Amino acid sequence: MPSYIIRRLLLLIPTVFVALSFLFFLFFLLPGDPVDLIVGGADRTVDPGVIARARARYGLDDPILVQFKDYWLRTLRWDLGESFLNGRSVNELLGERAVNSARLSVWAIIIEIIVGITVGLISAIKRYSIADKLTTIGTAAAAAVPVFVLGFVFQYLFAVYPNQHNWPEWARLRTSRLGPDEWFLFFIPQGEQWRYLILPALTLACVSTALAARMMRGSMLEVLQADYMRTARSKGLTERAIVVRHGLRNALIPVVTLIGLDFGTVIGAAVLTETVFSWPGLGFTIADAVGDRDLPVILGLTLVVVIVYALVNLLVDISYAWFDPRIRLGERGKS
Amino acid sequence: MSRRRSFARLLAPLVALAMLAAACGGGDGGDDSATPGDDVGETQAGGELVDGGTFLGDPPEHIDPALNSTLDAYQVVNALYDGLTDIDASDPDNPKVRPHVAESFEANDDASEWTYKIKEGVTFSNGEEILPSTFQKSWERATNPDFAGDYSYLFNFIKGGKEKLDGKAQTIAGVKADDATRTLTVTLSAPYSNFDAVSGFQLFMPMPSEATSDPATFAAYENGLMIGNGPYKLEKPRTDQEIALVKSDTWAGDADGEKWEDRLDKITFQVTADADTSYNALGAGEVDTANIPPARVDDAESNWGTTLDVDILGSYHYFFNGRNPIVGGEKNKLLRQAISQAIDRDEINEAVYNGSRNVSTGITPPGIPGFAKGICEFCALDVKAAKKAFADWQAAGGKLAAPIPIQFNADNGHEPVAQILIDNLKEVGIQAVAQPFPSETYFSQLAEGACVICRAGWFADYPTYDNFMYDLFHGESLDGNNYGFQSEKFDKIVDEGKATVDKEKQAKLFQEAEKVLLNEEIGVLPINWYRGDYAYDKDKIAKFTQTNFGLILWEQVALAA
Repeated sequence: MPSYIIRRLLLLIPTVFVALSFLFFLFFLLPGDPVDLIVGGADRTVDPGVIARARARYGLDDPILVQFKDYWLRTLRWDLGESFLNGRSVNELLGERAVNSARLSVWAIIIEIIVGITVGLISAIKRYSIADKLTTIGTAAAAAVPVFVLGFVFQYLFAVYPNQHNWPEWARLRTSRLGPDEWFLFFIPQGEQWRYLILPALTLACVSTALAARMMRGSMLEVLQADYMRTARSKGLTERAIVVRHGLRNALIPVVTLIGLDFGTVIGAAVLTETVFSWPGLGFTIADAVGDRDLPVILGLTLVVVIVYALVNLLVDISYAWFDPRIRLGERGKS
Repeated sequence: MSRRRSFARLLAPLVALAMLAAACGGGDGGDDSATPGDDVGETQAGGELVDGGTFLGDPPEHIDPALNSTLDAYQVVNALYDGLTDIDASDPDNPKVRPHVAESFEANDDASEWTYKIKEGVTFSNGEEILPSTFQKSWERATNPDFAGDYSYLFNFIKGGKEKLDGKAQTIAGVKADDATRTLTVTLSAPYSNFDAVSGFQLFMPMPSEATSDPATFAAYENGLMIGNGPYKLEKPRTDQEIALVKSDTWAGDADGEKWEDRLDKITFQVTADADTSYNALGAGEVDTANIPPARVDDAESNWGTTLDVDILGSYHYFFNGRNPIVGGEKNKLLRQAISQAIDRDEINEAVYNGSRNVSTGITPPGIPGFAKGICEFCALDVKAAKKAFADWQAAGGKLAAPIPIQFNADNGHEPVAQILIDNLKEVGIQAVAQPFPSETYFSQLAEGACVICRAGWFADYPTYDNFMYDLFHGESLDGNNYGFQSEKFDKIVDEGKATVDKEKQAKLFQEAEKVLLNEEIGVLPINWYRGDYAYDKDKIAKFTQTNFGLILWEQVALAA
């Protein structure tokens, strides 16, 4: 196992290199010259000398390969550069945004794990019951409703309506923004903070929770019909022990894969949720930087997203061995 | 001046959603709509206001007066800085330029040289006195070629401004500062009788010596604790989440010397990523002002105070690219006429903007000195005349090989307007097709010649006719703000108008130029003029005035007692 983990960690290096290099070259294929945006060329007739000076200032007059080399030399020193747009340090920006994204993602995943797995499990065990049918309808609806619609409806129901009807202060959730930014043990909201966190976390979790529930149900149904489950029943085990000890652990493997992938996605690509709730996270910032052709911000923030994604995938792979001891990580299959 | 609404573009087209939310019901306020500035009830001194209506989408790119080019950030700049002159827009139809940091100003006979006498005792919030040389240094900073912002072309009006911007001179030859006599003398590159209005614009505002002394720190200055001379000062450096201003005790007062001592103690500009979220935040009591999404206009009028009744000096229009073979040139004039007469501008205003704008009868909006109503002969819907013009154009050999592209920046809410244009044109037999461009590169692509029929909008920087005629349509603006209109006759009249000191004669010249633009050349399709779009909590805010420039007079905002 340790050698497997080390090998996977070493694999991170080419993964990050290829992903960011691809992104670097892709940037130069996008329409629009970043220098035009830097000097405001979209709105005025700019002297060619000004454009040339801006190009030189940001090193954009160098050949692309030289820029590529310089970029990697800087990145290896963890110098992510400065925003083309306003000269702000990308390292600082990353520090702020990555933490915000991580907090939101953790809560979205917690909701996904608790609600998704529970609902899927009940739905599978009580197959064809009213609860199962309601769950099927509910999860289909939750997966189908676009995030921004859900976000605005939540804002109205839990923030606007309570305010207009003078609900107690604690019962009025917040429509948007990060809030006081007060946390305990990194991700537990303190004081007023939870009122800002609940709606974006719920919204972000909604679609993936529905998918996790659907997958949990399907996976559990399949496992419940497996031979070893019949064997467990014939041994006289209680239904609870059968489901929890034998069924759940096996059924969880595909669900854990989904949740792991989800975590990687929500941390860097929760663009719509972050937009609707003005949550200053990575996804919103990266999307905006693409619009502004702000290469240092795009690459700096994506670097972290790629690393987190790879690490989460590694954790998911490691978790397989825990869920199913038959899985031996790092061993080649025997034929 | 543009209005930045960047990332909100993702959600802007979701009108149906906004309507759903609107249908859910509104606030619990009364139904009387407030008129800004009118019937102000009892007010209290000081207090705090949280603004959610100014920054939608992204945080402002710049709040440095030398760099900013958006109306949104001008709200902050205007609270932080005062310029040489100010516009008194209390009579919206007759705005007046008045000295502000300048005690007085005067031009020579042909308006080629302007002399400003700077007031004594006016200081920045750090106590530094503002002298004529302060302006000189600030303008040299703003024309530093490595730093200059989008609006720096305005320094071309001053003799030596272009050379300074191009890096060919160390100083601006036309600017002389004499601190002993408190005199600032500005020699222009060509006579310009409206320079008094221009010189009060944000680009020309004074900056303290800590901002002007080291070129290496110019760009980063706006990310720190900027020092200004306005009614408010920064409480702390801006963040991407908010900009907090507090009352400046050293403020010298407005153009009348009125200090508005009871003004707000603190204003916090919060950045909201989306207009609907901003509006919901107002409903949830989290902010005191919000932007009104078009689909929420009725709700806003019923439940909140609004500035919807303020006619903003801004135009929404479509350019015809005069250099484009499909629609440009003399031979396609009848086609352009047919298109202009086929457009149902009322339908656009009702269907897309919920009636929250004014239908245009020209490009230059009411409120600009010299404005004349109904200048455009072809801006009223006349399907019969449009069909005839199109038939005449075809009879003269005109032929469309493919549908005409109707171009706009994607995801900014312009799609419904383009669709109505396409439907209207279809009515008269003209085939057209929507051609959205990526928002980020839209205007630079237009400037590079991509325009055929392309959308644009413009907010006045200062209340002058030439701010529309010169900046948008003059040959010198070609490939800048002008996306293809070319007319020597027009340019000549505008140049003459700019140099004319007699205001009546000047107005007639600019009207004549606009007639050339709209009726002789048919170089642009006026669509509508903007109106205010702030909603505010009228139970909390007793006075909230938006000028027709779109600027909120923050020093005059007062909370209800």
